[in-house]
Amino acid sequence: MSAMKDTDAKVAIYRAIEDWRAGRISRRKMLGVLAAAGVALTSRPMLRRSAPSVSAATLQEAAATQPEEIVAFLRDVGGQFRGTTIRVVSEETPPSRAIINLKKEMFEDITGITVNWEVVPLDQVLAKVSQDAASKLGANDIYYFDQAWVGRFINDTYDPRELLDQKPDLAMPNYNIEDFLEPLVRHIAMYGDKMIGFPCDVPIFMYFYRKDIYDELGLQPATTMEEYLENARIINEAKSGEGTYGTVGQMKSGHYALECDMTAYVWSHGGSVFTADGKCALADDFAIQGVEYMRQLQQYMPTAVTTYDWGGQFTAIQQGQGGQVITWGENFPGWDDPANSKVSGLMEPAPLPANTAQRPPEECGFEEHPDLGHQGGSTYCLSRYSKNADAAWIFLQWATCSNTQTMASIIGGGASPMRQSTFDDPRVKEAAQVGVAGTTRHFPEMYNVIMNRMGTEPHLPQWPLIANDIIAVELGKLTTSDDPTGPAMVEIAKKVDEAASS
Amino acid sequence: MTNADPMTGIERRAGREAVLRRSPFWALGRVINSERPWPWIAPVVILLLGIGLYPFIYNIRNSFREFNPMTGNVEPVGLENWRRLLQDDRLHGAFLTSAKYVLAALVIEFVLGLAIAVLLNSGPAISGLWQSLMILPMVVPPTVAAVMFRVLENPDYGALQWLLEGVGLIDKQEPLLGGTGRYAMAAVLIPEIWQWTPFFVLILLAGLKALPQDPLEAAQVDGAGAWRQFWDITLPMLRPMIAVAVLFRLVDLLKVFDYIFVLTSGGPGTRTEVLSFYAYQRSFVTIEWGYGSVLGIVILVLAIVLANVYVRVFKVAW
Repeated sequence: MSAMKDTDAKVAIYRAIEDWRAGRISRRKMLGVLAAAGVALTSRPMLRRSAPSVSAATLQEAAATQPEEIVAFLRDVGGQFRGTTIRVVSEETPPSRAIINLKKEMFEDITGITVNWEVVPLDQVLAKVSQDAASKLGANDIYYFDQAWVGRFINDTYDPRELLDQKPDLAMPNYNIEDFLEPLVRHIAMYGDKMIGFPCDVPIFMYFYRKDIYDELGLQPATTMEEYLENARIINEAKSGEGTYGTVGQMKSGHYALECDMTAYVWSHGGSVFTADGKCALADDFAIQGVEYMRQLQQYMPTAVTTYDWGGQFTAIQQGQGGQVITWGENFPGWDDPANSKVSGLMEPAPLPANTAQRPPEECGFEEHPDLGHQGGSTYCLSRYSKNADAAWIFLQWATCSNTQTMASIIGGGASPMRQSTFDDPRVKEAAQVGVAGTTRHFPEMYNVIMNRMGTEPHLPQWPLIANDIIAVELGKLTTSDDPTGPAMVEIAKKVDEAASS
Repeated sequence: MTNADPMTGIERRAGREAVLRRSPFWALGRVINSERPWPWIAPVVILLLGIGLYPFIYNIRNSFREFNPMTGNVEPVGLENWRRLLQDDRLHGAFLTSAKYVLAALVIEFVLGLAIAVLLNSGPAISGLWQSLMILPMVVPPTVAAVMFRVLENPDYGALQWLLEGVGLIDKQEPLLGGTGRYAMAAVLIPEIWQWTPFFVLILLAGLKALPQDPLEAAQVDGAGAWRQFWDITLPMLRPMIAVAVLFRLVDLLKVFDYIFVLTSGGPGTRTEVLSFYAYQRSFVTIEWGYGSVLGIVILVLAIVLANVYVRVFKVAW
């Protein structure tokens, strides 16, 4: 059924009814076909965001190319823990999906360690990890942490640098921790001078545009925020009648995605969430200007945008609803996938437009780093309460080593590289083709954003409450009304200050 | 010859019983042969108490504690979570939203359900098929129904959106889902009504079929019209069925979650944030387990109080 396309399902419904009317099949059989086809049609939009399945041949090929020194390490060192079961909890992200696909042939079969990997929505990851950390029972051995949570959980994991030093007998040869891109380690995996885990994923805001529409309308990739807004207006005027809007946001009320969009535009207009003294700055002129800009852009988006989280935005672009967008770079391979996308080969990455103004990081609080390239990176971390810490440590090294990261980037699904060696790998460069699933042709621009334009949210223990609830809900009220921006931002700032001081 | 066995028959029986008492099956035999009810129901009662009572007691205990993100521990907070109930404006909003949701759903489902039940009872030729089809929405898991309606109500390609636009009830700028969220409450009520109106239909139809025909025939002889018969005879006689159906739905509606979670996530803003969704938000999104427990208890107490008030006010007799 998963292979059934929309057209197949519709044809199946038509044929089943015809056959039943002609007496060729029973009513029960007809209802069975209708139910199956109905499920296929209604579930397809949900499944679209999923990473493409990887063929057995690809996985075997990947396993065959695993370097011998890694295989030997897994067999000799990992093999000591044969029969152990470790548990991982993570969000459904491209790298997580890729590693889940790879782990059997490349890890479990060699070590004899079983990896039970539970994939749940991000808010449930937070709930499970919080519960685990509070109870200290070690229900999970490896945690997946969004970068926004590092402040909250910094004491609940092992610092991987210490593990590499303290357990040389369990250290993977040539693991090379220095190979991780320095800005990723600093922005995603560090809290103060402590490292919470290894970076595993970096969805980061990039600028993408529809080359066919830009060419048709004589537009150039925007170099300033004003030009970006103007391009959105022009596309919207010319194309919205055909179902292609100026741009598409992720503006679902009450969802963290909305907060991510907001911070990017606040940062690109010289604002920040906090000032250096820890006070909320969302009510100052820069922040209000940024939110006003986002609301101006909203005029050039489909009306359904207030129901789109990142998945909704991804699907909308995939269906050809947007002429340009600033959003997560990991979406790009899915848009280039000819089997599922209407815009395969039509989207192009471009450098992010320059900020209108930019507040220096030293004027912000809680390690916030303003810039348009909002990152939503995450880490895999070894739980301090793990009962199988050694086996889990070996898995963690394998999952984040250069070879596995490279394989995850090229087997399709959109995983983003964490390591310099992955960006430089010939296999990754070879996959940079136009209009194919799992393309890596956006990687050079992604590298540029990581190194030069990365924006990072504040790190404080109360941030999940502030970002996922206070800002997301209050901003949701604003973006679905005609209320003036200023008073609403004053209200948000008041609530953020209350939460931050609690 | 003399009898060498010094034991009497009674002593022999007592001896056998003493041996049996040492057997593990003796107690089982006593239970099986017992005419008293408690040995039979005790295991189930213990199981139900374990399943039902333990989480409730745990929740009460939790309501006096709270997760502290600064320390990563759950710490005692006394009555703080309960005090917060009175000051929480968002909770008061969720309470009002729940009231609107419950009232709207209950009234629409009851009126529609009654109308359909009367229609089916009047005996159209294919009423049997309709009755079978009526069950289908109820067997769909609510989350699946919500996802189905998310597709149907999609502003860009949803069939329902297209239909309502076609008859001029809504427009592209103000869709069921999205826009300013003016119709967000309607958007979550539609799957609710689609799925649970058949519940009223089936219960009320069973009631209608079981009604005695004599009073109706007498009223006909006395010249009462169809409307008068329905209003003064059928409806009062149907009261116990109505009471059961309304009570079941009332309690269920207070717990509504799936449609809200899938379709609007309580938004836009807090426009469709009902009590149960708010409790979920506190417990699992903002990780305030203690306050979430308080909200869970509030919902439970509310359901018990409302159900009892309903039974007394409407003099429900079973």
